[in-house]
Amino acid sequence: MKTQTSEVTAMPAKTTASLSSTLKERVEDFLALEGELLDERQFDRWLDLLDDDISYWMPVARNFEHRKPESEYTLKDKDAAWFDEGKQTLMQRVKQIQGGDHWAEEPLSRTTHMTTNIRIISATDSEITVKCKFLLYVNRREEEVRLFVGKRTDVLRPVGDNFLIKKRSIFLDQSKMLFKNLTTFF
Amino acid sequence: MNLESEDKPLIDVQSGMIDRKIFSDENIFEQEMERVFDKSWLFVGHESLIPKNGDYFLSQAGREPVVVTRDDEGKVNVLLNLCTHRGMPVCRYDRGNAKRFTCPYHGWTFSNNGELTGLPLNKEGYEGKLDRSRWGMIKARVACYYGSIWATFNESAPSFEDSLGDMAFWLREFMMGPDGEDDGLEAVEGILKSEIPSNWKFGAENTAGDLYHDVSHNSVQRVGIALTGLRTRHVWNADKNTFRTLNVAFPAGGHAIRANLYDTPNREYFSQWSQIPEADEYFRNAHYARQKRLGEKERLLNRGGIVFPNFAYNSANRTSASVWVPRAAGRTEVWKWVFLPKNAPQVVKDTMRNYLLRYAGPAGMVEQDDFENWHSAQVGSESVAAERLPMNYQLHIGHAKWAWPEPWIGEGALVDEGVSEHAQRVFYDRWYEMMTGKPRVFRKEAAE
Repeated sequence: MKTQTSEVTAMPAKTTASLSSTLKERVEDFLALEGELLDERQFDRWLDLLDDDISYWMPVARNFEHRKPESEYTLKDKDAAWFDEGKQTLMQRVKQIQGGDHWAEEPLSRTTHMTTNIRIISATDSEITVKCKFLLYVNRREEEVRLFVGKRTDVLRPVGDNFLIKKRSIFLDQSKMLFKNLTTFF
Repeated sequence: MNLESEDKPLIDVQSGMIDRKIFSDENIFEQEMERVFDKSWLFVGHESLIPKNGDYFLSQAGREPVVVTRDDEGKVNVLLNLCTHRGMPVCRYDRGNAKRFTCPYHGWTFSNNGELTGLPLNKEGYEGKLDRSRWGMIKARVACYYGSIWATFNESAPSFEDSLGDMAFWLREFMMGPDGEDDGLEAVEGILKSEIPSNWKFGAENTAGDLYHDVSHNSVQRVGIALTGLRTRHVWNADKNTFRTLNVAFPAGGHAIRANLYDTPNREYFSQWSQIPEADEYFRNAHYARQKRLGEKERLLNRGGIVFPNFAYNSANRTSASVWVPRAAGRTEVWKWVFLPKNAPQVVKDTMRNYLLRYAGPAGMVEQDDFENWHSAQVGSESVAAERLPMNYQLHIGHAKWAWPEPWIGEGALVDEGVSEHAQRVFYDRWYEMMTGKPRVFRKEAAE
């Protein structure tokens, strides 16, 4: 990838949760900070929370028979997806938004990211798997409103006192996108 | 029904003016369903999605919901997905395999070729007299064209190939693999469906040929998403051979495409996927294989186009298609189909899929800005104050030539060079003919 922009170096996040907090509190604090950075359009700082090898994936839901629940979402590395990104392409998307000439996000949308029902599924020294629900409200220009609700599975990598996001799988509760564009990070 | 007043035609392609009502008027929209969509062949999908007998998927033939099946004899059917009893959709799953579809309302059951096979209370209620041959699912005429599947419910429409005319070469070329092999594509699982608060024709006319709107795509061009090693959004931008840009339109059917006509026959391959060497090697070999297969037409690069009225494709290694599903004058569903060369190595498929998903659809870094435009253009079509002025389609008007610049481009082709709204004028000329029954302006006999 010699032609792409700058060297990618992930830096751990600085959160205020103290070392005496429980792991769950620290994870919750981290996810809240992440959403805050996106809502405040601090996209470069948001990118710093992503591991250099991040897999960022949002499959497409289909309507399938009840006896085939595993078919509901498209498969990774094989089928279509709304997002199937690594750090390099997420950086490209940020750069596109930051130029002031990406008309689908100019003027910038107002967003509020909410994560709830946070649950640690497993934790080792190198990986913490976290499930949560998200609610993302997007308002563009005057009357355009997009409401995204769904489930997320994140794999976090502990770095010192903080975390980097190593893997994010986003399961949106929509099969047809009910809006014209998907210009927001989850 | 009169759509326009005597002194103010909706469409005047000779002066390049179009009444903005055609994008916002609900009466016109309803007339389009009958006069344009019902009389046209419509894209409904691809055979690679139904390889086995019994396989099916849901699709849309314009506004009409359909289920596309491969029946027990291997034949492709396009069935109106509505029970003939009370009108319920009988198939509720996006994809699957089934011998029959049972309506959830009263249990009428149809085989996968549409025949009515199960009728509750057949003896007790209908005395065994209901004519099952009459009450099967409504079946469309079907045309399978190099993997693509087309349908019309109209019995008097001309055959699919007749309706394509000289557009046939371009559609066939689109369905080829990069090496020029016929029927060389497969559909990626998962259709990207989204919704634009906009009239379907804004998307359609744009894909017919709008080389004027580069300003919309500054941001993605600045970032660069093609894997060329250059800041580009198209891989062919890395081809240094010189070419003429053509807007090739086919007035009889209303179809149109954009193409590069390279100056030199059998041009050399310039690296277009340099960031993924294995993919680049595949495309290098494919480039030369295609030259051998296509003969003199290898000088053409098919960049994309539209099969009238609502099938728009992007080619030149961006193999994807949009179907504009009309829902209301100001509401359009976009169904985005992504295709890959079916015989390519996995690394090529992965490279292309990743590129295409970054390019196309509502999360695509190119098409996001298109969708934004069409939504915004709808605002101007609903303005009463703006009604005093038509929409302007005068760019590079009056320069198109028949069967030009090479006769083999086709007798039915009316061609303009460079940045022009020629293809859009041809699109609306055909639309106007279907809507009003008045003869087209762009007729070969009229020119002679």
